[in-house]
Amino acid sequence: MKEVALFIPCFVDQLLPEIGMDMARVLQRAGCAVNFFEEQTCCGQPAFNSGYWQDARPLAERFVRVFSRAEAVVCPSGSCTAMVRRFYPDLLAGTPAAEEAKRLAERVFEFSEFLVNVAGVTDIGASFPHRVTYHDACHTLRELGIREEPRRLLRGVRGLTLVEMANAEECCGFGGTFSTKFPMISAAMGETKAAGAERAGAEYVTSTDPSCLLQLDGILRRRKSQVRTIHLASILARTEADGTNSGNQE
Amino acid sequence: MNAAAEAFLREAAATAANGELHQIVRKGVEHYDAAVERGRARFLDWEAARQRCRKIKREAIDRLDLYLEEFERRVNERGGHVFWAETAEDACRYVTDLAARAGVRTVVKSKSMVSEEIRLNAALETRGIKVWETDLGEFIVQLREEPPFHIVTPAMHLTRRQIAALFREKLGGVQTEDPQELTAVARRELRRAFFSAEMGVTGANFLVADSGAIAITTNEGNARLCSSLPRIHVAIAGIEKVIPRAEDLALLWPVLATAGTGQAITCYNTLVTGPRTASEPDGPEEFHVVLLDNGRSRLLADPEQREVLHCIRCGACLNACPVFRTIGGHAYGTIYSGPIGSVLTPHLRGLAEFQHLSFASSLCGACAVVCPVKIDLPRHLLQNRRNAIAAGLRPAQERTGFRLWRWAMENDRRFTMFGWAARFGWKMARRAGLAGTALDPARRWTKAREMPEIPRHSFRALWRKTHGAG
Amino acid sequence: MAQVENPARERILARIRAATRSVPSSRTAPDARPIFAPVSGPLERFRAECAANATECIVVETASERGRALADLLGGIPEGEIFAQDSPKVRRALALSGTRQIRWSSEGAPSENSQAGVTLAEALVAQTGSVVVSTACGGRGASLVPPVHIVLADTSQLAPDLPAAMETIRRNGTLMACSSVCVITGPSRTADIEKILVLGAHGPRRLVVLISRESD
Ligand code: SF4
Repeated sequence: MKEVALFIPCFVDQLLPEIGMDMARVLQRAGCAVNFFEEQTCCGQPAFNSGYWQDARPLAERFVRVFSRAEAVVCPSGSCTAMVRRFYPDLLAGTPAAEEAKRLAERVFEFSEFLVNVAGVTDIGASFPHRVTYHDACHTLRELGIREEPRRLLRGVRGLTLVEMANAEECCGFGGTFSTKFPMISAAMGETKAAGAERAGAEYVTSTDPSCLLQLDGILRRRKSQVRTIHLASILARTEADGTNSGNQE
Repeated sequence: MNAAAEAFLREAAATAANGELHQIVRKGVEHYDAAVERGRARFLDWEAARQRCRKIKREAIDRLDLYLEEFERRVNERGGHVFWAETAEDACRYVTDLAARAGVRTVVKSKSMVSEEIRLNAALETRGIKVWETDLGEFIVQLREEPPFHIVTPAMHLTRRQIAALFREKLGGVQTEDPQELTAVARRELRRAFFSAEMGVTGANFLVADSGAIAITTNEGNARLCSSLPRIHVAIAGIEKVIPRAEDLALLWPVLATAGTGQAITCYNTLVTGPRTASEPDGPEEFHVVLLDNGRSRLLADPEQREVLHCIRCGACLNACPVFRTIGGHAYGTIYSGPIGSVLTPHLRGLAEFQHLSFASSLCGACAVVCPVKIDLPRHLLQNRRNAIAAGLRPAQERTGFRLWRWAMENDRRFTMFGWAARFGWKMARRAGLAGTALDPARRWTKAREMPEIPRHSFRALWRKTHGAG
Repeated sequence: MAQVENPARERILARIRAATRSVPSSRTAPDARPIFAPVSGPLERFRAECAANATECIVVETASERGRALADLLGGIPEGEIFAQDSPKVRRALALSGTRQIRWSSEGAPSENSQAGVTLAEALVAQTGSVVVSTACGGRGASLVPPVHIVLADTSQLAPDLPAAMETIRRNGTLMACSSVCVITGPSRTADIEKILVLGAHGPRRLVVLISRESD
């Protein structure tokens, strides 16, 4: 049995806990033993992306320490995964934690890539009879190179129809603090994305990044759109026994 | 906040709400995307092509002094002149003095971002010299008295209707809205200028060290006319434009065309090595190359960001950028816009005044994927941000905010407590009816978006309930 | 021209040297991955590319047939000056065009209202359907100022791809002898208005390549 440690991003912990719970359920169903290290807080990405590398560094070092005992680390956010895998080497270059960080980077996985590429699962027995479109979260796609894994998982879901947006790979406009530093730009980008989901005729837009879904949910509800958001983990957690309705952000 | 940052926020917010402009830009980009897809399909291995182009540029940039000297030596051997300009003013002074000495009254110019960078037109005009932009897009924006919207497609933001109205107003007697006929109007107007101008000014896409040649790429042929008909030809180029060998163009030309417009190769790829020779029937009598530094050698000294000098100004990163597509080129308030503009401008014109551009990005990374010389643009945005903070250029309250945030995050109990307090505070604010009002603590979010339902329990609380304490 | 003082030169070079002194050598193993598929059947490829980039390409057997094709072509071009590269080959070809008024490149530059430019080429590029001309081909304006540019070439001039064409130029010392060389691909064009393609922006509206299979 594979032991995995949950990497629950700080904002998921506080704002979207069900995504974390759903991910844990799915991982268990995939045959993993799931741990949650309560010492974890934030990976440091908000400070890093805002240029406060001095403030991000101690958090990165802390993260590396907390997870050093984990065999595999799984995260429901491509962006937070990318922070550890792709940006820690920059951030921690020349510090004593650099080596340990490099080793950790190889054991940190985004949720869908872990299921497909490590656990070897594409059908988890989920059921979600809806038209769903997949939003390629920027860091999942372009920093981690994950494009097919989430789609393969979605195709394995009973009753689910996967429809593609013409602008599936376009940014939703969230961008962390960008969303509140430049709210007008961020929201306009979100509108463009939301319109793409509507045009695709989807009932749900799903993704591997809760932050994108936070943005899209906020935009879609303001537009009074019929389209709702749901995290990939929450789709995969649904079984036929759960009935048909529900999305995490209703 | 400085004036440039304030203007940016204002302009960006205005264009972010301009749906009509988004439509025009999006249509242009869709057209471009389809062409690029076809263009890339002509390559057996586009990735290998990008890699090789990067290598060529790297080779030149890493030994810039040698290649520039070689280039200069060969230009001199052929009777051309090379002038090294440290600043925009130096470059402008050289060109305006030259024009004055030669009694130039009219200058024809082909598209050159470097000439925009040094504001050459204004410098020439204050000396009473008439300047004609001859690239159709540049001609249009010159008539509108505005800067180019995009480094490759300057009039991307205009419809044919707007252009027709402009021609009617400025050139008189134009009744058509047909692009073909509008182009013919501009052609007639500019032909007169070409045949009367005493000086032609062009940029250069590449400076070829081993041949002492400048390479200019255009579709319209205007750069050829600028460098053929007037008595004096001046080419202005950044020092980073040098490449080692003429053979390198066999790859750089198709790659530039593919990334720039999706064409297999641009219509005219011209090499100029000097003034006309004794046996040639035409061509300028004088050939000058102005090599512009203007901050580039300083950027060269930054090992993290040196690769920004590899840029071949293809404009692909602008088209790929969702921020550019949302706010347009003018909102940036800079000559170079889009991702490359946000990365480069702080180096050319000062971090203090232009750091805000590096923050105006969601770091989506679409630019890095398309860049034909593989410049890691999002990394450089991050580095600019870090440098801005290190230089103390951000507001004190942001600084304090992050310090506090870090203190809270360095301990999971503090994190849990602050997280609980924030959720509780938000719920209270909502209960008090503050949501959506000016007092809303999340105003910057809620102005255009809904807040999520705030959950009662955090993940860690739920986990404890179901799995017991860690 | 008087030499302009340029003290900035040394300062710029000094800054560049200081900035690049510690750059590690970037020498990497040569990358042999092919970037384009090799061109087979250069003439067929050239014609296909011409069709795609709006070049009119006419292939004939002999040089004299080429001359007749030229005469036909010029018959459809309005009255007025024809500007031509002064070379024996072009003179031979134009001899078949009867009484057209011709201005030879040896007499100077093309006039503003010349109706066509007739030149030879340094090379043709199959991969892109391009014509390479130099200032030896009647100067800079011959392929640029008139509304029609007519190129006389033969199949022996076909380079399969751009690297081969650049190699030809290097071998012939073209860049040493001529003050300008241009790789021309199709007639002048613009898409600056709503991305709609318009031919004949500033340069020729028509580019015609007459190729004979036999060289002369
Ligand atoms: S940074 Fe890259 S994509 Fe952007 S203009 Fe320069 S070369 Fe083109």
